[in-house]
Amino acid sequence: MKGLQYQLKSVLRDKFCLMTFLLPILVAVALNFMGSIDMSSLGELHFGVLENDLSPQTITWLERYGPVTAYETPEELTAAIREPSTNVIGVQTDGDSLQTAIAGDELDIFQQAAATLPVLYERRETAAQVEVQTLDRPDLLESVQGIFIPAVLIVAMFMGCTFNAMNIISEKEDGVAFVNEILPMTPSQYILQKVVVGFLFGSLSSIVTACICFRMSGLHLETMLLLIVLSAFVASLIGLFIGKLSEGLMTGVVYIKIVMLLFLAVPLVCTLIGVSGPLAVICNLVPSQPAFDGIMALSAGNMGTAIKDIGILAIHCVAWFALYVLISTRCKKHAT
Amino acid sequence: MRKGFLALFKKDCRMLSSGKFFLMAIVFLALYTAYVNFGYIRFMQMEPYNVYLYDPAGTQAEKSPLVKTVSSMEDMDAALLVDANGVGLDASGGDVRVVVYKGAAAIDRHRTDYALSLLHPAENPAPEVLGTNTPEQKARKEITCELLFFELAAVGFLGIAAVLFKEKGMGVIRVHAILPVRKDLFLLSKLAVFLLSDLVFAVLLTLLNTGIADGVAILSAVLLQTAILSLMMALVGLLCALLLKDFRQFTLAYLVIAIFAATPVFLSANTSIKFDWIGYHPFYHVYMGLKNAYFGTAISPVYYASAVGAILLLFLAVRLAFHREIGKEG
Repeated sequence: MKGLQYQLKSVLRDKFCLMTFLLPILVAVALNFMGSIDMSSLGELHFGVLENDLSPQTITWLERYGPVTAYETPEELTAAIREPSTNVIGVQTDGDSLQTAIAGDELDIFQQAAATLPVLYERRETAAQVEVQTLDRPDLLESVQGIFIPAVLIVAMFMGCTFNAMNIISEKEDGVAFVNEILPMTPSQYILQKVVVGFLFGSLSSIVTACICFRMSGLHLETMLLLIVLSAFVASLIGLFIGKLSEGLMTGVVYIKIVMLLFLAVPLVCTLIGVSGPLAVICNLVPSQPAFDGIMALSAGNMGTAIKDIGILAIHCVAWFALYVLISTRCKKHAT
Repeated sequence: MRKGFLALFKKDCRMLSSGKFFLMAIVFLALYTAYVNFGYIRFMQMEPYNVYLYDPAGTQAEKSPLVKTVSSMEDMDAALLVDANGVGLDASGGDVRVVVYKGAAAIDRHRTDYALSLLHPAENPAPEVLGTNTPEQKARKEITCELLFFELAAVGFLGIAAVLFKEKGMGVIRVHAILPVRKDLFLLSKLAVFLLSDLVFAVLLTLLNTGIADGVAILSAVLLQTAILSLMMALVGLLCALLLKDFRQFTLAYLVIAIFAATPVFLSANTSIKFDWIGYHPFYHVYMGLKNAYFGTAISPVYYASAVGAILLLFLAVRLAFHREIGKEG
């Protein structure tokens, strides 16, 4: 217990650890607020016209679809159309109709809008008489948040990895690692002390993040808790491996970044591409994949998949723990 | 002097190699390339709005092939629920009624009018095309530019600082106070190593992700912008390493740069969201320089003059901090 107190004290002094603990919580809060911001203007149409070219009525009609900017010269208008960060559609008069101009690198939706604009202009009178029923869309960012929230939770769950790795590396740099070797402490006591620090902080960070992002109850809550606990445990074990392999702070940071990127990239790419078959089984070798899949399944109310993912995470826990104990015991024997 | 510089340069290369700096760059290059080719290009597609028509009596005979017919109102509701950007047209009651999920008012008006126009399709005059890039070329250039900027300004910067803090911790900086080489060579060799590795990274990232033909055409402009950014970041990294006490303190500065400085720049430079104050953000101009190089847009000479001025100022600040640090040795 005394040893554990020292471990906690050492971690709490470390700004890097505190920062990694707070980061997912801050992002979760930001994502929660983002749901209330209307970012739909991102997909809005923007029109560029030449000064004194279109009639005021035509400009008013265009403004129904999106903002209109008037440019003094054709060169300025061309530059605005070609500007890659915007999707400005150039509009000029063509007798009674309109002529549009685009850069050609826009997404299909904007190219289609430019192509159909003259026809919409010709039929502007008839379109105004049609009855339109508008249904409420609860959250415009729901689909984006659907992927972001599990990703943030994965970062939180795997915080334990950073905690343990940084803790062991600091001990190595300060020479405490050598002192540990001669302390009357068995390898299992050492592993337990180290795992508990990362596990506690990883779990705590994930639970707070999950509370901000999800509203759950009953069986769903218990399953989520189980997913968090198992993932945090695997992450703290991986942190021990990183700490063991790193020769210094610099290599430790490199390893942590690679592991974190891998943990985020594998589930995100799997979800976006829709991996299936043997490749999906291979992806489960990265522990964040079953965790991510489990959270996604829980949000969709699919308990079967979530329980399967808990099983995979439990196998990860046993396998990583056994591997670490095996390596530690061998090292100890080799040293004596 | 040349001999001294080469010896320092070799030592820095060995240090970066043993610090897994090059390994990290290769891993990130592989990750970025996989992300661009297998993720981003597929993800960045936005098809025109789908239009669903419920017309049990078959009154809309002229409709465009782009209109998808559904057999019941329930089917239309289900289709719109999944595809909330789609537009439903209900012609079961004689007159056509439009059903849409609420979005921005202007977009809703356009979606509605576009869907109705598909019921009586007409020959659309093709819009005049003024640019040379296809949507895929644009997406590739845009994401490669973002990744290169992020790598140099955030990821590579962390690597630079980690290496320099290691040297500082080992007392290497102070050892230079008594070495028989010019003091500035220490800084110049560091800058040369990071610059060279960043230029190689930029060449590989650009060619692998924008394609050989497109990449070669823009490479010289991209390398010039990479050199500006790389020198700035290496100098800021050096300054942090010399001024801050340890690497942990630096991680806080890094967090500010990586998240709070880069996010508004990406938003303003890549989307139609333009902040009024973004012109005062130094990263914005550097990012726009890089982006203009990727898209072959002309860059103002004022920008180059300011960039050179900023690099010189940073170099003088680093030189001052370095001399103060070695001065501690007495």
